[in-house]
Amino acid sequence: MESYLSMKNISKTFGVTGLKANDNVTLDVRRGEIHALVGENGAGKTTLMNILYGIMQPDSGTISLNGKELKILNPIAANKAGIGMVHQHSRLVNEFTVAQNVVLGAEPKKAAIFFDNRKAEAEVAAVIEKNRFHISPEMKISEISVGQMQQVEIIKMLYRKAELLILDEPTSILTEQEIQRLFDTLRELIKRGKTVILITHKLSEVKDISDRITVMRKGRIVSVKDTADVDEREISKMMVGKSVIFDFAKGEEGCRETVLSLEKVSIRKKRQGHPILDNISFNASSCEIVGITGVAGNGLTELEDVIAGLQKISSGSIYHNDEDITNISPKALRERGLAYVPTDRLKRGSSLDTSVKENLILTSHHDFMKRCGVFDDNKISEHSRRLISEYKIDGHSDVPIGTLSGGNIQKVILARELDNVKDFVLFSEPTWGLDVASSEFIYEKMLEMRARGVAVVLISSNIDEILTLADTIFVMYRGRLVAGRASGPDLTREVIGEYMLGLKDDFRGEE
Amino acid sequence: MKVNRSDMFVTAIALLITLSAAFMVMLVMIFIMSETPGETLFYFFAGPLTNKYYLGNMFNSAIPLILTGLGIAFAFRSSMFNLGGEGQVYAGGFAATAVCLAMPAAGAFFGITVSLLAAVVTGAVIAGLSGFFKMKWRTDELISSFLISNALIYIVDNFITGPFDDPGNNLLTTSKVAEQFWFNKIFPPSNLDISIVFVVIIAILAFFYLFKTHQGYEMRMCGVNPEFARYGGINVGKYIMLPMLWSGALHGLAGAVYVLGTSHACFKGFSGGMGWNGIAVALIARNNPIAVIPAALFFAYIEAGAESAMINADITIEIASIVQSVVFFLITAQAIYNFLKYRRKAV
Ligand SMILES: Nc1ncnc2c1ncn2[C@@H]1O[C@H](COP(=O)(O)OP(=O)(O)OP(=O)(O)O)[C@@H](O)[C@H]1O
Ligand SMILES: [Mg+2]
Repeated sequence: MESYLSMKNISKTFGVTGLKANDNVTLDVRRGEIHALVGENGAGKTTLMNILYGIMQPDSGTISLNGKELKILNPIAANKAGIGMVHQHSRLVNEFTVAQNVVLGAEPKKAAIFFDNRKAEAEVAAVIEKNRFHISPEMKISEISVGQMQQVEIIKMLYRKAELLILDEPTSILTEQEIQRLFDTLRELIKRGKTVILITHKLSEVKDISDRITVMRKGRIVSVKDTADVDEREISKMMVGKSVIFDFAKGEEGCRETVLSLEKVSIRKKRQGHPILDNISFNASSCEIVGITGVAGNGLTELEDVIAGLQKISSGSIYHNDEDITNISPKALRERGLAYVPTDRLKRGSSLDTSVKENLILTSHHDFMKRCGVFDDNKISEHSRRLISEYKIDGHSDVPIGTLSGGNIQKVILARELDNVKDFVLFSEPTWGLDVASSEFIYEKMLEMRARGVAVVLISSNIDEILTLADTIFVMYRGRLVAGRASGPDLTREVIGEYMLGLKDDFRGEE
Repeated sequence: MKVNRSDMFVTAIALLITLSAAFMVMLVMIFIMSETPGETLFYFFAGPLTNKYYLGNMFNSAIPLILTGLGIAFAFRSSMFNLGGEGQVYAGGFAATAVCLAMPAAGAFFGITVSLLAAVVTGAVIAGLSGFFKMKWRTDELISSFLISNALIYIVDNFITGPFDDPGNNLLTTSKVAEQFWFNKIFPPSNLDISIVFVVIIAILAFFYLFKTHQGYEMRMCGVNPEFARYGGINVGKYIMLPMLWSGALHGLAGAVYVLGTSHACFKGFSGGMGWNGIAVALIARNNPIAVIPAALFFAYIEAGAESAMINADITIEIASIVQSVVFFLITAQAIYNFLKYRRKAV
């Protein structure tokens, strides 16, 4: 087959750091295929796609589509050429409706000046219909789930008549079900002659959906293969130069003492007919990893906020080492030693325009004072150098954290939070966007903390992650816990799946 | 924090382009409106530098601007908007005057200290009020600070024209404060006084406070991303209040320094423009306390240039102020544009 998109000898160096994010990269994509682009955090995948989409200009190299050489100066030009991109981090406007977001930048106009909302909604509805999405154009972005936001991003590209779709880590923020739905959509699009470039860190997905694979490492292409010819292990070997397998032992029973305890915690405000949190009770003990899972929209996010002290509860109590900490401030919680890796890494976990160094001291800046509240700059730099090397963060201490690759931003957050864990730590979706090696690194850290006697709470929609790590597994459905069991051979993916969909409920009738 | 170098480069280039654009507009306007454009231009640009009097006065008029610019920068750094600068400067100046008038026989050091303190507290309380309202009831501080300030201007006007009016003078002003309180002139025959030294020191301290101290760090984090700050255990409520207090204090001080250093009395409307120009100064300086100094000097320079052209060449006061406004407008527009772009990125 002749190539559809051909990027030749693309190089890109970032001025500030002198780093070669793309080094003579040649990418070749055929029409009608799903082409997976994989590589470790910071390998240069996003950079390459940003160049294709006109967000950045390459230092050298050429791009041709359908055999015609193109200069793509900006995303509008990319749209014109039939290229669409869904970014690693959502760029939708929360206050706008689905339709308004979709047409943003290409709005239908009344009398050539005024925004025509009705027409926008009708046109967007037509695109939704045609591609069989389940979403209503009048809904506000703030009211829809992450999975739906992703759909909106795709609809946005289809509305612009994209033929080539770039999806940068679309699945890292989705639940299992949402991923399947997304893949169905992609297969559907392929049938209608579109072409997809997919970036992901989950190799099972690569195997599942792609036709061909391009592997990047440290800014270069290391391999291009037909998916059918390789297995997951080989792919990961090409990415990092070694194969990675997860196999972790469960914790010992020995040292269990209750550290964090929730008793009948509720948020009474209703959503879809049920309280947001409904009588949640569980304990997290030292030497234990408590895993909590569920489908998005069933209260996981709110539970995360409650444990982190960022959301007040309407009834119930929370105890830390037998002291009542119900509704205390996040500051007071931090002073008690809470370490917390949040789901939302861009708005909550980091401050994008602020340097890596200053992001790293957020929770410990009290420890860097000389006297009278004056900072000891050397100590701060020293601290950041140490964490950067310890956590293998690919980035300089003085650059804004927003210029780091997605995975490296997460590593900065992890480094900050895990550096001085006391006796409890809360993880929410810790491995979203991390490559295989980094995920393994985080898992090891979690196990190491458990061994030290820390109580670990892991909120994750990734069932495999929960099954691999958790000693006790809780499942949330419609704001309630419907399962709370020690992990064991009888607790399989399928069983957990049944709990997640509300088909099984161990606590019904109790109260 | 180190500022991203390429980012700074872009800003510098953009500023340069705006400056050239402003300059071109000014050239055109002067060529149209002046019979002797060459002469007018000369006085406009070189005027403020030709003699000690103009030069000193130019530096002198930068003094309150540095303080108000710092006041605004402080608030902006923590994402608070203080639009009440005018009223805070005015009330601060009035408070300083009232204290001095109340104790005409006090010693210089004691009197000046108390009077400055009164001005600082007055400014802080006024701006702090808006911070307090925001903390308590989420009232938008942008609107409340503006409204409070406007109301205060009328109240102070009333004091000046009523109970405090100097009967021996038919201008609308209080009497002059006792001479021992006047700041020493350091560059005669101009009005430039010793306070410029202190103001520069304050700017350096402000920089140090923002970037090198624990409190400055917390304040900045609340400014760039309040959710991040709260998540990390910073008391976000505190940094709604604190920056407004600082901001108001600096504005109040600006008023006092103008009274004790330059006017020696509180005349009606003396603060006109000091508050608003402070906003422009802070924007141009991108809320960097050190950069506030050249930004304020630039403003003072254009003002002095317009004045010198008016006195020495053939353009009228209206034309001079039109030229001046156009330049300010262009510069401010560019700075606001940058600021908004920055804000958008930050959310
Ligand atoms: N605007 C920028 N300025 C400076 N450096 C940058 C910028 N954008 C990316 N980089 C650097 O380029 C390298 C490649 O980044 P890129 O985002 O392409 O990685 P990636 O392969 O997408 O990684 P991830 O899987 O973590 O998202 C990183 O080291 C990153 O820090
Ligand atoms: Mg990326």
